[in-house]
Amino acid sequence: MKRYAKLYWLYAKNHFKVMMEYRMDFLIGVLSVFGQQFAALFFLSIVFQHIESLNGWSFYEILFIYGIAFLGRAVHHIFFDNLWTIGWQYIRTGNLDRILMRPVNPLFQIVAERVQQDGFGQLLIGGSVLWLASNELGMSWSVMDVIVLLIMVLASGMIYIAVNLFFATFSFWMIDSLPVVFAVFSLSDFARYPMTIYSKVIMFVLTYIIPFGFTAFYPAMYFFEGRGFTMFALATPLVAILSLVIAYRFWLFGLRAFASTGS
Amino acid sequence: MSQTAIEVRDLVKHYQILERDAGLKGAIKALFSRKYRIKEAVKGIDLSIAPGERVGYIGFNGAGKSTTIKMLAGVLRPDAGSVRVFGIDPHENRIQNARQIGAVFGQRTQLFWDIPVRESFDLLREIYEVPRSEFEETIAWFIEQLQLEPLLDVPVRQLSLGQKMRCELAAAFLHRPRVVYLDEPTIGLDIDIKETIRAFIREISDAWGTTVILTTHDMQDIEEVCDRVIVLDEGRIIYDDRIETLKQTFNNERTLEITLDEGTTFVIPPSVTGLVTELASETDSIQLAFNHHEISSGQLIREIVNCNQVKDLSVVVPKMETLIRNLYQPEVSA
Repeated sequence: MKRYAKLYWLYAKNHFKVMMEYRMDFLIGVLSVFGQQFAALFFLSIVFQHIESLNGWSFYEILFIYGIAFLGRAVHHIFFDNLWTIGWQYIRTGNLDRILMRPVNPLFQIVAERVQQDGFGQLLIGGSVLWLASNELGMSWSVMDVIVLLIMVLASGMIYIAVNLFFATFSFWMIDSLPVVFAVFSLSDFARYPMTIYSKVIMFVLTYIIPFGFTAFYPAMYFFEGRGFTMFALATPLVAILSLVIAYRFWLFGLRAFASTGS
Repeated sequence: MSQTAIEVRDLVKHYQILERDAGLKGAIKALFSRKYRIKEAVKGIDLSIAPGERVGYIGFNGAGKSTTIKMLAGVLRPDAGSVRVFGIDPHENRIQNARQIGAVFGQRTQLFWDIPVRESFDLLREIYEVPRSEFEETIAWFIEQLQLEPLLDVPVRQLSLGQKMRCELAAAFLHRPRVVYLDEPTIGLDIDIKETIRAFIREISDAWGTTVILTTHDMQDIEEVCDRVIVLDEGRIIYDDRIETLKQTFNNERTLEITLDEGTTFVIPPSVTGLVTELASETDSIQLAFNHHEISSGQLIREIVNCNQVKDLSVVVPKMETLIRNLYQPEVSA
């Protein structure tokens, strides 16, 4: 564990050195993430200029849910962005062979080989949005609440990671599963809105099949009073751990299949 | 009994290959009905390699070299048979095995693309948990041997092929592995860099007793680096012996190249029939293979000149490359 932490730090340090060399890339990356998220928020505010509430949810409540989604996504984006590239950068190119010949967990190496600085923009926006929304909603924060918030954000990130890993693993059998990962990830946009506005089917899918509901809406419910879903909110960390375990098992299964075909 | 470095028994590996008719139509058809063909890449290989041995592992493309090496490295799982590298099953205990092996795999890099060479080495030091003092000692030696000094602060992506390959070699040997797999380490390099690399492999392997498995298409590599040659053809070992034995076996083989005056035809003197084999011959240029032991070059030339209008003539001592090619010959003519 200590060894892996040290190794990760070394990978990250090197990465930051490279990043400093390319300041413009860093700025453009962060700005483009800013742009994406402002567009989403802008769209939301336009909608709310025309309606009072969305199925009983106010603008700032939805903004709060957005904030959690952004923060969770930032965790995934900053530290686990390389999961996207497993198919085309590792399996197809044979880079995975090189990784398998080193005495370190292969998934760790893939993940550590990239830190996506663009995600820091997401972190910043998520934090700001959350702070703004909670002010407007007049929420009060105890120390306990802050700790729970951190846990929820982490759990949200873990679910993004798990879903990404699970679908990226299909690259062991397909040429590249990237389109599948994209398709599944587009579902996560749904999860930034209150789940109660959706049909039972969508709610079921986002809760039990691809648990994006736990990346924003359910954990947010912990902080809202009288909105229900408390059990779901409390289950978030468990769902996160379970998702990761399943995704990792599937990854190991894929790795074994790779060892027998080598393609 | 001293332990063997690599012990391979009845190693088999086959791939499933999707059979598809040509063209778009074939591709669409394959979408609905799949037919697989089994390609046997490795068909039962036995190997026993001693510690410190340097083995040239050669064969045509597709002979199964890379597949074997991937199994030795633990990346691929054998379909049958067993592999042990210093007693470790490379696939079952991949991570444990990874500590004792190093590799250079052709065009793929072991280094880290964006970061300078020195930092790449540092990261590898951490990955292999090499003690700092040992690492410094090793690196100092490698820098001298491979002239790495001017490259250390250059990001890997900016290195030329020759520079990169020198760094790759350093990276492969950095943790003092017991076995190193080198897949085409000299491909596309200038002759002087090839020399540097060959000398490096020899010296390090001598100093540390590193076992080296080298695949290459350059016979000069084999001749200068290896003490044993294994030839693989269509998934089977067709030759496995000391390099001196190989040389001795074919030591007496010679080729006589003859160019005749224009308009004359070649006549084999009756006195030498049965002692020479006519190789590729055109109208006025003839190649005769003969055994130096059975008939001396001088004797043969005398006989030939007596019966023919010879314009030019030379005796060729076969190169390593030809020796190896001869090994395939039975397969080719069959």
